[in-house]
Amino acid sequence: MALPLPPGLVPTEVAFLCEMEMVTIIPRQRLESISLLSGQIPTLRPPHRAQLPLWLALLLKKQRRANIVPPSWLHPASLSEIIHHEINIDPEGFSPPPPPVTRSDGRGMARPYGDSKPGDMVLSPPFLPSCAADAPSSYLPYHWLELSETLLAHASDDIHGAAEVRTLLRDLQEVRAAKMRGSTTQLEGGGGVVGLRGVGAMELAESRGFVLGVVEGVRKLGASAEATRREEEEARSEGGEESDEDMAFG
Amino acid sequence: MSYYDLDVILTDSEKVPCKFELEVPDLGYLDNNPSQPLKAGTSVNLPLWLAELLALTHQSSTPFLTLSLPPALGDNVLNALKADPRAVPLRDQSQNFYGLGARMLDLFEEPELGVVLRRSFVVRAGEVALHGRKAGATGDAGSAEDFMRGLEEWEKKLYRQAHEGAKGHKEWMDGVKK
Repeated sequence: MALPLPPGLVPTEVAFLCEMEMVTIIPRQRLESISLLSGQIPTLRPPHRAQLPLWLALLLKKQRRANIVPPSWLHPASLSEIIHHEINIDPEGFSPPPPPVTRSDGRGMARPYGDSKPGDMVLSPPFLPSCAADAPSSYLPYHWLELSETLLAHASDDIHGAAEVRTLLRDLQEVRAAKMRGSTTQLEGGGGVVGLRGVGAMELAESRGFVLGVVEGVRKLGASAEATRREEEEARSEGGEESDEDMAFG
Repeated sequence: MSYYDLDVILTDSEKVPCKFELEVPDLGYLDNNPSQPLKAGTSVNLPLWLAELLALTHQSSTPFLTLSLPPALGDNVLNALKADPRAVPLRDQSQNFYGLGARMLDLFEEPELGVVLRRSFVVRAGEVALHGRKAGATGDAGSAEDFMRGLEEWEKKLYRQAHEGAKGHKEWMDGVKK
């Protein structure tokens, strides 16, 4: 009762988790491999790209020891395509999340990333390269808002057309925030469920309290109607059973 | 819904109109008639918790009193809500408008009332979210003030939640440069 934080993650916690996302960098200096609890950091050799967690990439960037390669979905063309999708193609829902990461198995087939043997650990986004340079363009990954803001704040010189990207991101944010508010109107007719496929972590953290509040309110208002509906259904199914039995006896 | 939920307690003390079916001695003061017994057929406003118990308790098949819908959920209000949910200041009707509505839906078979209440709640919630997001960001509070003054308790809670979320987000966005 006295828990000071609301349920779910608050925006700062989401941003902290986002620092686990892998990004691609081009190192400027050699750096030996580092063993961390979260795994081995590869040896950095200057012209070769490497994938690092965001926090380490930002640290190296601040020390001018690396440049960050912006992910392909952060390109202005990709962003305007997503905005076009949000506004014109699917004005109701959110643009879909990226497809599951796959890689070739060498026999002309693709299989899920990090899922080679049955029984292996199934990996989810922080351990998948969802924000690295080889992430698919035109799809927003789960941590899109936090990651793009952080990159724009700390590595804007590495991003092509940073000013344009910034404007496009503002547009995208506004469009999606309006959809988020509108998503609760689906509950009006009754029985509707708020569809939140493709919504990012930061957007969820922002709207969680509100959406939960609306769902809870609709549930309370509909509780008695729901109870009568259940009773009717039960009565009907009992009636149905009886008629079945009658037929069996007949 | 908790035992200590203040809103539930306050909803319980909302007055509802009731009509006594039996003559009750020594209760005349409810009808400003202290020395007389309360006659059968008198209409009085009783708090919901008392009215509900008396209406559901039977004594030889006649309940003590019959309930009717409070004026806050009367036809006038419902028609106005059907026309445009955003234009009705619900707080003037009742501080716990939806709480009262939910309790009344438990007691009465009124499917239409349920539909209207749900629609108003959802439509107004969208508006509440918009104001919650804008609050503090821009200075034009003037147009929103009328609407905000008409919010009842559930909506105020929603407003606070929408605003908290937007605030946390904004704080992080401002702090990301550091």
